[in-house]
Amino acid sequence: MRQAILFVILLLLLPIAVAVQDLLPAILPFQARILLLPVVFCFGAMALPLVPSLFFALATALVQGLVLLQIESGQAELGLTVPVVFFLVWAIVLQMASEATYGTRWEVHALGSAMVTLSLLGVEFLVLCVKRGGFPLEMTVLLRIVIPSAASLLIAPLLYFTLRKIVPVFIEEAPLPQKPNFSR
Amino acid sequence: MKKIQIASLVLFAVLTIAVCLLESGTLTWLQSGLLRVISPISRSGSAVKSNIGNLGKDLLSLDQLQAEHERALAENRKLRAENNGLRDLQQDNNHLRQVLGYRERSSFRLVPALVLGHDAGVWWSTIKINRGSADGIAPDMPVITDKGLVGKVSAVSGNLSEVLLVTDENCKVAAKVEGTKEQGISAGSRDPGGELRLTFLSKLADLQPGQKVYTAGVSGGIFPSGIALGTVKSFHARELDGEAILEPSADLGTLEEVFIVSGAK
Repeated sequence: MRQAILFVILLLLLPIAVAVQDLLPAILPFQARILLLPVVFCFGAMALPLVPSLFFALATALVQGLVLLQIESGQAELGLTVPVVFFLVWAIVLQMASEATYGTRWEVHALGSAMVTLSLLGVEFLVLCVKRGGFPLEMTVLLRIVIPSAASLLIAPLLYFTLRKIVPVFIEEAPLPQKPNFSR
Repeated sequence: MKKIQIASLVLFAVLTIAVCLLESGTLTWLQSGLLRVISPISRSGSAVKSNIGNLGKDLLSLDQLQAEHERALAENRKLRAENNGLRDLQQDNNHLRQVLGYRERSSFRLVPALVLGHDAGVWWSTIKINRGSADGIAPDMPVITDKGLVGKVSAVSGNLSEVLLVTDENCKVAAKVEGTKEQGISAGSRDPGGELRLTFLSKLADLQPGQKVYTAGVSGGIFPSGIALGTVKSFHARELDGEAILEPSADLGTLEEVFIVSGAK
């Protein structure tokens, strides 16, 4: 029941994240944007159990795909397959990271948010290069990938601790295991 | 593994396949639904942002007023403050008159709209405006300002629309260069410089910086003829054609109000 409530809260956060990230100003001078959706996704993928996190990844992919939907000559330019595969892979990776670090830790969440943002923008760029042709990998393009990733790294703890305040019972951060004592 | 988990995974697999197989018509419908969901947040957020911006401007005006007061000690403080307040109102009034005047002068039927925000998509140049299908807005309608072409409507919901800017790589516009017979196709680029590339020009085109470029209005196209698109910054010949770099006529970075062309008068 508690997990269901967390799942619903996170689902509601997805469109809110999309609306808010559109309202945030671009980071000058490269007009890089701050992305909140990957940060919310990382939290959900780590805090929820495996099966709900897969459903959450699917919902995130649907929202992200629809946000970027551009119909060209009756065809969706990016479609939903790429975001679906992308977020499902990351959901599994983040689940493993969550288990390996004994719970949802803020450091892992921040790092994961930055990695998801970096890879999301990188994948989008590569898909566009394949679809439209050309490979304009210039410094401004690289900065437009790196700056939002760094912004995600900085924003992630804010969201993490806010959500922990709202739903403290749902996220149990287990203490790291003690070093084994081999001395007699 | 519990039965409920197996059932959930089967449901998940079916949903995943269904989502991946959605066709463009269904996707457009879903996108319209998403815009409808985020519309209240975008509109109220934009209003709050605007109020915060105005607060900053008001504080700046007070600073300026303070400086003027110090320079003009002989003048009545109260009267000067009132005059400044009236001047602000007059500026607002002039701005609104200019906007209204353009709407009345224009040969198009225009629907005014406020820009709610620039979208956070890194590789696409889009904005959201506060008009939608309830105001008669439909996809592919041109969007302009009194300075020139802004782009075209790309997605519509009840009272919110998305506009693809001319600086986007996917927004292709047939254009002609003032004072020449040169015509080409303008589009933005993935490299975010905010410039337009006018291609398919003659290799021998003698274009000079500062020449104006207007929409060509080809038959079957969506942009009417004669809307200012940009100004030539440079020209160079390529292997098969000529390419000009244009500065957009409309200042797309600071857009606040736009007009949607809903037809001819």
